[in-house]
Amino acid sequence: MTGGSGAGPEVIAAYLDEIAARLNGPARARRDIIAELRAGLADASDAHRSAGLSPLQAARAAVGEFGDAARVAEGFRAELAAAQARRVVLPLVTAGPLIGLLWVATAMTGGIGGRPVPPWHWDGPPAGARPVVHLAVIALATAIAGALFTVAATGRFTGRLPGRPLVTAAIAAGGTAPIDLTLLVLFAVQAAAPAGIAAFPAGAAAAASLARLAFTGRAVRGCLAVRAVSRPGRSSP
Amino acid sequence: MSAQALKGHLDGMLLAALEDGPRHGYAVMEVLRAGSGGRFDLPTGTIYPALRRLERAGHVRARWSEEGGRRRRVYELTASGRRALSDERHAWQEFSAAVTTLLGPHRRPATP
Repeated sequence: MTGGSGAGPEVIAAYLDEIAARLNGPARARRDIIAELRAGLADASDAHRSAGLSPLQAARAAVGEFGDAARVAEGFRAELAAAQARRVVLPLVTAGPLIGLLWVATAMTGGIGGRPVPPWHWDGPPAGARPVVHLAVIALATAIAGALFTVAATGRFTGRLPGRPLVTAAIAAGGTAPIDLTLLVLFAVQAAAPAGIAAFPAGAAAAASLARLAFTGRAVRGCLAVRAVSRPGRSSP
Repeated sequence: MSAQALKGHLDGMLLAALEDGPRHGYAVMEVLRAGSGGRFDLPTGTIYPALRRLERAGHVRARWSEEGGRRRRVYELTASGRRALSDERHAWQEFSAAVTTLLGPHRRPATP
């Protein structure tokens, strides 16, 4: 069988399209994978042409050599799940300490004479604020543990830690929401109280928490969406 | 040799294929094919996810390289990868020695 020289690239492009349609995860990671496979298929095609095949035959042989598109895409499932999870937790791990410092600084300058004052002792918080803050801190501790576990399980300890990175990343992201919501409520109450609140660092802390809330909302939805569409046979990445 | 039979040894073989220097994915496959005398029938497309898994584990590092107008992802062993390769080799030697002892030419048990 012989083929025209123009049909070879189309065979490879169609195969790559089939794989791309089955990949779920961050767009950049998916583009990266397809670019690498494209170069590999071109190399394989060249090798088959050197063996005497026509361009079309070489392209078909290259595609055959790479294997079933669904199986190739499935091979990248864990990689893309890890990429999605790291995309969520790395910003949290990086920004988390800074946001924490801003709130600590806010507590220290909470408009009560510059003494170290925790948020639940600010002027005018609701009576039940303290236990709510405690629960939010527990959620935050869970989030930190989830984030660190996700970083380890998708990095140096790949294959050595049991990994459901999309689940632990979603826990890491979602676990920051209670503390941010609680602190924002306390901030609003304190700002409305007669003593008021310092514009800085309180305003910066509130803005950072708002930004993190928006980020975590998107992040949790992203993790759950990737997990939902990349679960063949109910096995989760 | 089927992909199933290679399961569990693929990482070590990929690390070994990179031992002599950086290679892109297809070149790694060619080394495996040549080194096994063509016995490995692993689909080439399965090599790439395995290389990325090794990258995440810190055993290889990857960079994009352009040659002849074609951009390829080139993989290189790290110090951690060299240690992992050494461990794989050691484990394989112990395993293969045990299997050879069991599956080698049959020796009649000594009669009392």
